[in-house]
Amino acid sequence: MTHMALEGLRVLDVTHVWAGPMCTRMLGDMGADVIKVESARRMDTGRGEANPRGGPGSLYPDGIPGERPWNRASHVNERNRSKRDICLDLTHPRGVEAFKRLVEHCDVVVESFRSGVMARFGLGYRDLVKVKPDIIMVSLSSQGSTGPEASYGSFGATLEQTAGLASVTGYLGGDPTTSGTFFPDPVVAVLSVGTILAAIRQRQQTGRGTYVDMSQREATTSLIGETIMDYTMNGRAQGPIGNRDRVFAPQGVYRCTGDDMWIAISIRSDEEWSALTRVMGEPGLEHDPRFSDVLARRTHHDQADAIIGHWTATRDAFSVMEELQAAGIPAGVAEQGSHLLADPHLKARGFWETVTHPEAGTAPFLSRPFQFSKTPGATRRHAPLLGEHTEEVLREVAGMSDTEIAELAALGVTENDPRAVAASPD
Amino acid sequence: MVAERSLNPAAQTTAAPLAGIRVLDLTQGISGPFATKVMAVMGADVIKVEPPRGDVSRTHPPFLGDDPHPEKSGLYLYLNTNKRGITLDMKQSAAQGILRRLYAWADVVIEDASPGWLAAHDLGYETLERINPRSIMVSVTPFGQYGPYRDYQATDLVALALGGLLYISGEPTREPLKLGGHPSEYFAGLSAFSGALIALYHRDATGEGQHVDVAQVEGIASAQGYSSLGHGYIHEDRKRMNAFAPMYRAKDGFVGAMFRQDNWADFCEMMGRPDLTTDPRFADQLSRRDHMDELNAIVAPWMAEQPKEDVYHAGQAKRMPMGYICDPADLLTSAQYQAHGYFTTLDHPVTGPLQYPGMPMRWGEDAWDLRRAPLLGEHNREVYCDLLGYTTHELVLLRNIRVI
Repeated sequence: MTHMALEGLRVLDVTHVWAGPMCTRMLGDMGADVIKVESARRMDTGRGEANPRGGPGSLYPDGIPGERPWNRASHVNERNRSKRDICLDLTHPRGVEAFKRLVEHCDVVVESFRSGVMARFGLGYRDLVKVKPDIIMVSLSSQGSTGPEASYGSFGATLEQTAGLASVTGYLGGDPTTSGTFFPDPVVAVLSVGTILAAIRQRQQTGRGTYVDMSQREATTSLIGETIMDYTMNGRAQGPIGNRDRVFAPQGVYRCTGDDMWIAISIRSDEEWSALTRVMGEPGLEHDPRFSDVLARRTHHDQADAIIGHWTATRDAFSVMEELQAAGIPAGVAEQGSHLLADPHLKARGFWETVTHPEAGTAPFLSRPFQFSKTPGATRRHAPLLGEHTEEVLREVAGMSDTEIAELAALGVTENDPRAVAASPD
Repeated sequence: MVAERSLNPAAQTTAAPLAGIRVLDLTQGISGPFATKVMAVMGADVIKVEPPRGDVSRTHPPFLGDDPHPEKSGLYLYLNTNKRGITLDMKQSAAQGILRRLYAWADVVIEDASPGWLAAHDLGYETLERINPRSIMVSVTPFGQYGPYRDYQATDLVALALGGLLYISGEPTREPLKLGGHPSEYFAGLSAFSGALIALYHRDATGEGQHVDVAQVEGIASAQGYSSLGHGYIHEDRKRMNAFAPMYRAKDGFVGAMFRQDNWADFCEMMGRPDLTTDPRFADQLSRRDHMDELNAIVAPWMAEQPKEDVYHAGQAKRMPMGYICDPADLLTSAQYQAHGYFTTLDHPVTGPLQYPGMPMRWGEDAWDLRRAPLLGEHNREVYCDLLGYTTHELVLLRNIRVI
């Protein structure tokens, strides 16, 4: 078997929802041994509620929560592939002790609680270095562990707001808004993969571990550097410009035939404008003074949009894309879920990975934003059931005896049925 | 990460995380430069290779004082901190010999040429592997090194469209809406950074280098999350809904509020409307979604009277994940960003001192050592003469024939 890129790396994963789990899932896909820690009292919220109502708009295949909904929820099953899962009640001293015994055998602890929660468990960085002096701890909190807003909570959508991204997102002339996803989550996930490995490299060089304290809000701000610089250089706060570009023109998203079908088109130069007029069969527009250079096209952007939109309105979005790309013009269909999964390019690159889960069935899942020539990544196993590997991990990683494991179970520390416990107030 | 800038002067400083890693950066624009910026601030020695007329980002606004000068682009200045900069016209055959010598120096070569271009000039991964089998090539392109769309053209908008993020953003009754800025390019940069670090981990363990293929469109397809999961897993297609975090007009801006089961009552209390807590129309997440208009008719007038930051802080004090729309001015004055020293002032011979966004994480007791971006060709002598051993005379000749 091929050597996997991250073979030998062991990660104790106390993250939940999206950013943290997606980060550690990618580490797992690349060969790391990722142990996800949850508890019946404090499941990853991506598992949904213990007794959900289900139906349309819910998280489950065909809206059916099933016998154990927490094992069928879409979010948790996508973001936790390639991991093992253990239930440990960290509010119980024996749970904390078991956690520390795992830490002894791990390289990295990643957590995404509200800042301060790990320390309250007795599992802050200061506690962990006593157990393993060169441990690397990475916190992926909303705003870092220090500062007046350290204890504040957030979701991806509110981070888009507080980080400044929403201030430049919105329809032209309209109010600022957020994206249709929690964009900061995958951003933090991908940034954190390299960040964790940078800390590992530092440990290899110096023999020392470290505490990495990420602010998800600041990570999101780092994606609008030029917007910040415009303010610090010129005192100007840019607002939303819809689908347009700040340099070239025209650019827009135009309606095509079919249900809610749209094509995105960018014209970056005079040559691309000429090519567009030829594809549209409107050679007269090539030297039309309204569109002859980028300044003119910016001034008459609405008119250009109307002409392009009129042309696309009676055409199939995929045909328009192919025709324009053949002429060297950037164009792409605004792909919906069904298109993405059938996309010939993503398919040819093996982007979708089909995974069968014992309680949720078979589904295609997204993979990774990087491919490797010698150590390809892969979903190595379906997302674990809640507590699926508790005994295995306690025995093989923490080195516990059957008696100790039975004791923890009797105390309820490793309980894996969320209906058997009252919800935690925290 | 130098001692005098440590947050805690008594702290023992360590070598920067990527100290000793050598990066040859052949990229321009946003994606590649963002990847190498992160690596450079983390301590890698990054040599940025620009064509003699400069990285294309030098021609992109914003410019200091709106003066389109190659040393005054905020985009370039932000994305190229902590790097050394040289000029080299990669299209000339003399340059290709120089590049192969730099290949021998580098742990990581990062490039964003059209797929196939480097290989056609004997500079592709096979060449790198022959020269230096331990090194890693990271290619960052819109569609990756293979696949039917390999040679397609893309902009940020087009990558968002084909990666599935565009369709789900915006209002249901209008056209899909782009996320502001250059999100797909920055995302590809982060993917390249992490891809390089994964390959370096493997290299350090086994001595084996490799080729990493980063496709901008796969970054966005990784980030969209909901569309593919909706269709392929839940079997319920995801449409634009624009109601993820309802946004309200406050007295001086906008506030975003996520109402969840555990904070709805607190919010009703904040509004002075505890009666709403028991209103069945708003009993849970799904009922509130079903009665969004009625909900907004109650919340909006109250919100319009409140200063945005007051609602944000009051809500957060009750553990509600509230947000408010920050523009750059709000961020620069944010007590939280100030407490972290997130913005750093860097001096620059052409622009003078300017404030820059910093790194989004604290690293033990060490502070980041942020240094300004290089001037065009600033390190030519240092790299060509001191590193590669060219004489001053040869440097002049190379300049004369416009190789550098």
